[in-house]
Amino acid sequence: MEALSELVKKYALTTYSMKPNRLVIEIPRDRVKEVLKAIKEGCGDTGIYVSTIVGTDFPDKKQVRLDYYLVTHPDDNVYVLRTWLPREDPKVDSILDLFPGALSGECETYDLLGVVFEGNLFIRREFFVPTDVASKEVFPLRKDSGV
Amino acid sequence: MAVDKVIEIPVSLEVPIGPQHPALHEPVMLKVYAEGEEVVKVEVNTGYNHRGIEKLVEKNSFYRNIFIVSRVCGICNIVHSNAYVRAVEQVMGIEPPGRAKYLRVLAMELERIHSHMIINAIMAEVLGYDTLFMYIMRDREKVMKAKEILTGNRVLGDYLMVGGVRRDLSEVDRERIKDVLIKLEPEVRKYIRVFEEDETIGKRLRGVGVVKPKDVTLHGLVGPTARGSGVNIDARREGYDAYGEVPFNIIVRSDMDSWSRMMVRWHETIESINMCKYVLENLPSDGPAVPDETKLPRKFPVGEAFTRVEAPRGELTYYVMSDGRQNPWRVKIRTPSFNNIINSGFSYIGYTIADVPVILTSYDPCISCMERAIVTDLRRGEKKYVRFKDLNRGLK
Amino acid sequence: MSRAKVISYSPWIAHFNTGACNGCDIEVLAALTPLYDPERFGVKLSPSIRHADILIVTGAVTKKAAERLKRLYEQMPRPKYVIAVGACAIDGGVFSKSYSVVAGADRVVPVDIYVPGCPPRPEAILDGVVQLVQKLRSAVV
Repeated sequence: MEALSELVKKYALTTYSMKPNRLVIEIPRDRVKEVLKAIKEGCGDTGIYVSTIVGTDFPDKKQVRLDYYLVTHPDDNVYVLRTWLPREDPKVDSILDLFPGALSGECETYDLLGVVFEGNLFIRREFFVPTDVASKEVFPLRKDSGV
Repeated sequence: MAVDKVIEIPVSLEVPIGPQHPALHEPVMLKVYAEGEEVVKVEVNTGYNHRGIEKLVEKNSFYRNIFIVSRVCGICNIVHSNAYVRAVEQVMGIEPPGRAKYLRVLAMELERIHSHMIINAIMAEVLGYDTLFMYIMRDREKVMKAKEILTGNRVLGDYLMVGGVRRDLSEVDRERIKDVLIKLEPEVRKYIRVFEEDETIGKRLRGVGVVKPKDVTLHGLVGPTARGSGVNIDARREGYDAYGEVPFNIIVRSDMDSWSRMMVRWHETIESINMCKYVLENLPSDGPAVPDETKLPRKFPVGEAFTRVEAPRGELTYYVMSDGRQNPWRVKIRTPSFNNIINSGFSYIGYTIADVPVILTSYDPCISCMERAIVTDLRRGEKKYVRFKDLNRGLK
Repeated sequence: MSRAKVISYSPWIAHFNTGACNGCDIEVLAALTPLYDPERFGVKLSPSIRHADILIVTGAVTKKAAERLKRLYEQMPRPKYVIAVGACAIDGGVFSKSYSVVAGADRVVPVDIYVPGCPPRPEAILDGVVQLVQKLRSAVV
């Protein structure tokens, strides 16, 4: 995809590939929304969808990693947008207004990992984490949560 | 006499049909706000089924997790273990032999047949067509028999293992499964005719729950839901396992309504039966399908993999990351229902309350797949004045 | 004749998924269909929990579903009985160590019959129901 290679040149910090054959593009965290907006404009409304949002905790690096898995349609290529957030203050812009389909992923990532999506009004605790865990102010998928 | 004032009386009605409900088998709660009979807003409210699986798999070893991930969802257990096992194989650099790949495809397609049949049966029951439900369930038992012959159990077979499958298929069993499939096909064609020609089914399903192609991609809907709206999303095109070699057609229909989604499922059932027949006739014997368990590697390299599988309900993705220890560092499961149900709240608006269960069933809800579920809300369509609040907590 | 004995001629079943993987649920569903024909024992799926005599619980009881299960049990008319179907409903199964799971159904409601298996076959589920019915007829319960 031509538009994508231009975007990579413009925004990417680094690129590498993940098995099996997925292109990973690392971008700075304050550009997430900008990049996704550019991608959406490049592909059109029916050209791409957000498949998965994955947050991973790295206590050693004091960082949380956030991956957006995008699938293009109809050629079925998977691209990974990867960004790193500080563990103490994991904030990133919500992409809900661009892709309403990101709702499930964003809400889940907040409740399980504590990543705050600014602009998403629907995120809250106890979506599915039981009350006794949520009331302890711990996020289950953090490695030090102790649950 | 001219009317100069209308006094609206707030009516609030709660109809709790659940959280347990005889027809639908999972705990989900749809909060439906309706004005009169017209639905103006829907909140999907679940969480009764969150079992903390992603945390659980971090605490167990790579091999033990195969059993845990197949219990994410009993209906589609083989696709779950397939996605996980392939991700682990990618991390470890193992390639299963062709025979194992073909057997995996056979197991997954049998699963697709029984899953599509069960949701069509449930749809028949939701429509009040109990006889059809019973008939479809009776014929579905044939597929369960075939699954039992192949994997050793009717539902949870734990059929997959890293590097292959857990049991090989003998010549006798091959003929038995083929026999079951030959008997099943005319029955399925009969049901397709019923769904196509029956007036009641047509009236309840056609034109109900229309999802436009643009909404499909924006809301990330996948599987038969997307294909019923003319969006050709199918992870099988990646050609994982033996899907690159087994010929099949992707069924796409462009009616965009509930009926279209159910018909996609029926025609995929026929397609799956043909794929199973192809696999049974062209099973290669290039290597042992069952690997030697004692010789599997006990050390895991650092690495990550992201796999997609076309589950009966749509695209299922697994992300597996290893940091070199016995347990995975992170396993992320994104199931098709997680997108299809939570993000589809928009599609109920404008239909009547009686259509809500029909539309929900047409998405093939698999709540244990979502297993972590959230509240959906729709900002559009919300009206300020009196709401006729209707709570449809069906779909137990 | 005791009331327990009366319901044994046609026990109505309600089914509640407390966090199961669906494996048990589709087997419970299969057990209610023509091939297994539960109506020869008078067993029927009840439309509402308030009409039910037997509650079938499937799945590891999650903390959120535990409240629901308790409430459902309280809504059932007496005499009432509970069947725990599957390994998860018995003791939590593979999920027993998870942070959001209470474990077996007997932590929340009294269980009369346990049907083991992952998932149990429809025959086994029906056998559990029949054993409960026999227990009622001999008025042990």
